[in-house]
Amino acid sequence: MRLGQGREPKELRPRIIGLGVAFVLGLLVLAVNLYRLMVVRYEEFHALSIDNQFKDVRVRAPRGLIRDRRGEVLVDARPSLDVFITPAFCQKCATEVIPKLQTILGWDEEQRKKVTQQIRDAHGPQRYQPQLVQIDLRREEFDVLLAHQFLLPGVDLEPVPHRNYRAGATLAHVLGYMNEVTQEEFTRLNGDSQAERPPYAMGDYIGRRGVERSFEDTLRGQDGWVKQVVNARGEVMRDATGNVLQGDEQPPKAGKNVILSIDARLQAEAERAFPGTAGAVVALETKTGFVLAMVSRPSFDPNEMTGRVSPQRLAQLNKDPLQPMVFRAGAEHYHPGSTFKVVSLLAALQSGAFTPTTQVTCNGGYSLGSRRWRCHKESGHGVVSAQRAVQVSCDTYFYRVADVLGIDPIAAVGKALGLGSITNLSVVGEVPGVMPDSAYHDRVTPGGYQKGMALNTAIGQGDVNVTPLQLAVVYSAIANGGAVYQPQVVSRVESPEGKVLQTFGPKLVRQVEMTPEQHQVLVNALVSVVNEPGGTATRSRLKDVVMAGKTGTAQVARLGAVRLKTQEMDYWERDHAWFAAFAPAEDPEITVVVLNEHGGHGGSDAAPTASAIVKKYFELKKADGLAFGPEYVAPATPEPPPAPAVAPAIPLHETATGIAGAPGPAPPPAVATSPLPEAPLPPMPESPEGPPAPPPTEPGGPH
Amino acid sequence: MELSVGDRRPLQRVPWVLLVGVVLTALVGIYNLASASRPPSSPVWMSQIAYLGVGLVAVVAVSFLDYRLIQQATVPIYVINLLALIALKFIGHKAKGAESWFVVGPLRIQPAEFMKIGMLLMLAKYFHDDERPAYGFLRLIPPAAMALVPIGLVLVQPDLGTALMMVFTAVTIVLFARPSWPVLAVMGLVAALGVGVLWNDYVRPQAEPRFTFVRHKLKKHQDQRITSWLDPTSDLKGSSYHAMQSKIAVGSGGISGKGWKEGTQTGLRYLPEQHTDFIFSVFAEEQGFVRCLFLLMLYGVVLLGALGVAASAKERYGAFVAVGVAAMIFWQVFENIGMVTGLLPITGITLPLMSYGGSSMVSVMLGIGLLVNVNRHRQMFTG
Repeated sequence: MRLGQGREPKELRPRIIGLGVAFVLGLLVLAVNLYRLMVVRYEEFHALSIDNQFKDVRVRAPRGLIRDRRGEVLVDARPSLDVFITPAFCQKCATEVIPKLQTILGWDEEQRKKVTQQIRDAHGPQRYQPQLVQIDLRREEFDVLLAHQFLLPGVDLEPVPHRNYRAGATLAHVLGYMNEVTQEEFTRLNGDSQAERPPYAMGDYIGRRGVERSFEDTLRGQDGWVKQVVNARGEVMRDATGNVLQGDEQPPKAGKNVILSIDARLQAEAERAFPGTAGAVVALETKTGFVLAMVSRPSFDPNEMTGRVSPQRLAQLNKDPLQPMVFRAGAEHYHPGSTFKVVSLLAALQSGAFTPTTQVTCNGGYSLGSRRWRCHKESGHGVVSAQRAVQVSCDTYFYRVADVLGIDPIAAVGKALGLGSITNLSVVGEVPGVMPDSAYHDRVTPGGYQKGMALNTAIGQGDVNVTPLQLAVVYSAIANGGAVYQPQVVSRVESPEGKVLQTFGPKLVRQVEMTPEQHQVLVNALVSVVNEPGGTATRSRLKDVVMAGKTGTAQVARLGAVRLKTQEMDYWERDHAWFAAFAPAEDPEITVVVLNEHGGHGGSDAAPTASAIVKKYFELKKADGLAFGPEYVAPATPEPPPAPAVAPAIPLHETATGIAGAPGPAPPPAVATSPLPEAPLPPMPESPEGPPAPPPTEPGGPH
Repeated sequence: MELSVGDRRPLQRVPWVLLVGVVLTALVGIYNLASASRPPSSPVWMSQIAYLGVGLVAVVAVSFLDYRLIQQATVPIYVINLLALIALKFIGHKAKGAESWFVVGPLRIQPAEFMKIGMLLMLAKYFHDDERPAYGFLRLIPPAAMALVPIGLVLVQPDLGTALMMVFTAVTIVLFARPSWPVLAVMGLVAALGVGVLWNDYVRPQAEPRFTFVRHKLKKHQDQRITSWLDPTSDLKGSSYHAMQSKIAVGSGGISGKGWKEGTQTGLRYLPEQHTDFIFSVFAEEQGFVRCLFLLMLYGVVLLGALGVAASAKERYGAFVAVGVAAMIFWQVFENIGMVTGLLPITGITLPLMSYGGSSMVSVMLGIGLLVNVNRHRQMFTG
């Protein structure tokens, strides 16, 4: 149809009016909605727009230091240049930003995928929290990233204090290490605080194992916050003069310092003197239970584990047959071998069936029923009594003890001394070991308890298993007349300024009943092991100090018909070498237990380490001019003292004010100048809380 | 027949109210754009002035064209636009995942904007040529094809927003042409079904596994947009983020606004596409509720002015063109302001005369030019 031929479209008019009404209604709907948003809900949106302008920027609190008892820094921080991505502000993150980072930082494809996934997985409020994607940039990388930052929205560079374990693998199991907080921990730790500023952010490190973990709350400070004006991409806005625009702030609170009872110098000596491929050394303060040195070998480097360990390396560590991650001093148990004989002897004396003079004839073995138990000396030791039996480690004597007593009295004494249950060192995971009794054997051994098991147990074989730490507690208790102390490695907590906030005193677990006579017999026997001709550890005798100790050689593989020399055996079949000692015998200060895993013989492969440690202890004591002990007062300055090598020999002022709850000050150094192998030992003082001697039929045990 | 009466008196029967409304709105747009594009953005408002100039030239040019020429050229215009859309597939410029632009030197031309005009001219021609009342199903097949072909081409770019606007414009024109009752009934049924599907897929609480009609076929971002429309608080940090930030901007404007260039949501770049799709949020945040009402009234003036042109048109072609232009402007205003205030799902739709962009400005101005042309020639045959 051609134009102009149509009639005037009058019929359209009402529809046009209808359309006009519809349009006006539509605009009215918009107007009403605007009214709802801009007038009715103004306050709400106004507040939200104010919120939008500020970003909480974390100011990280420095983590507390870990020092040794003299203040020497064991763990501190060094700056690490880290890269963070805030997912909400990272536009085209997966397609542009992360590939750029990959180029600059040289990530492999796997790392790129991991980071991409990490950013993708951030949901909810996490999208507004910077996610750690790379630690420890090299300086060049940092410069390149800084220069390209405008191309990398949402990427932040920040120097972050990074944990630094100064001595590397030394003490690694006790100190622990740190790594990233897991999603599960993140939820748990922040769960009860509904705050918009939760204590942990993703990417934060948290202590793993050791002091780092058990003192996480102490060491970790409280992060501070500052409100900065940011745009929607998270870029901090500055005023005309370039100052960061910021609102209120909350300064961070530094973490507290944890002071260990470890002496770094003694620790170094223990590391040096211990010859084993694997094993443990524990040195305790005899009268308090505080740890002076603790070696667990092989070890790992916490610096390597903290944030940078690759999965491959971790797998390698876990697959290592020597198991470097295992804390051998407390989390692995071993047959104690002959070091257990003091427990058997104490049980024998307490039973009343044996006196110190009771004699047993050793002809190289002991027959019970149709079986014969061999003594380690095939030709036999002849007639032995208590002291001699310990000195030469005569097995036959203890077979006899077990035959007379049965297993239960021995187990009761062992348990009272702390065997079969964890020592509660608390900072490190422990295993309880095994202190078998008849009930135990009835439960786990096919056929139930039989006398032969008691014989094996009495010489520290069979099912009895102890950790080096437990054995140190046992020997400390024997040394100080029966007081079983809980071993501790942390002596106090200090503020960052060096003010003492909390002190840990000795914790007496129980007093094992032990008469002074029994005590003296045990001590004399142990002294003779080291100091009298014929003792199994006389080569480790010390010139100035009387050391009391006991060797142990724990059988790992069954003895064959032919006795092989240690060097001829396969490593994994060699015996464990033990030595447990304390010194000075007359007034013990230090207990040392050495376990040389598959090391050979206690006398040759463990005792020298212990004597080196004891020797060093008394040298240091002499040099410092005062006893290590709870009366030691920390240096007032928070600054670490100079390197231990140049530590001043000038005696520090000794203050009489001890730490509350600690036993009285140790007497001034009374180093015995003449070892007295033949002379009787000075009478032992009554133990302070010791109950009267128990009736001979009832061995001491936990109350 | 005397056909060229209007040309002798060029300023006679110009719809002044409409033109003043359009120019005022465009000036408010430039003023607002100057704030939205403050540093560190590039000052695009200056280009917008140029686009407005080009647009006004287009108005004048179109209004002086011979009315018959436009009607006769409808089919070629439509076909050329279709060809341009097809050509886009081959030589188009890809941005944000869509092939929507021709790049000619510094200019980026968006053929879909011009396709809208082509489509409504074509529909107007059809309803002018076949004017028997009450269009049944058969007689609606040609206009349906005329609309659906370009809509389909726009949809595959993909430009869902523009395609939706074309659907609404076309449906408005068809409704205006008054289909027969059965057709109306079917259309009502389809609309009801659509609402039902939305209700089933998005609103009705369902146990897993969910039974959905179309939801599982949508792309993720489309699905999220509908979710965040029907449930704005579902994912505030994620897919609802932009919708929420826009609502915060609008709501925090209050009655009198934060002041020109003082908007924090704008200044700190919380608004996505703040020069184009979310330009109204900038205006609302900085100018406040009262001036928003004023802006809505300006649009009301433009729309009613356009309908006035339609009402005074002396034949169906002009009336349908005017109604089509009015519908096109209305739906874009409604959808754009609706989406930035959380009333409607977010689609990439510009606000006519306010949003930055040459193609958008020129296509609206072409429409206005058509209105002026229709108005000037209303008495061609009677005077």
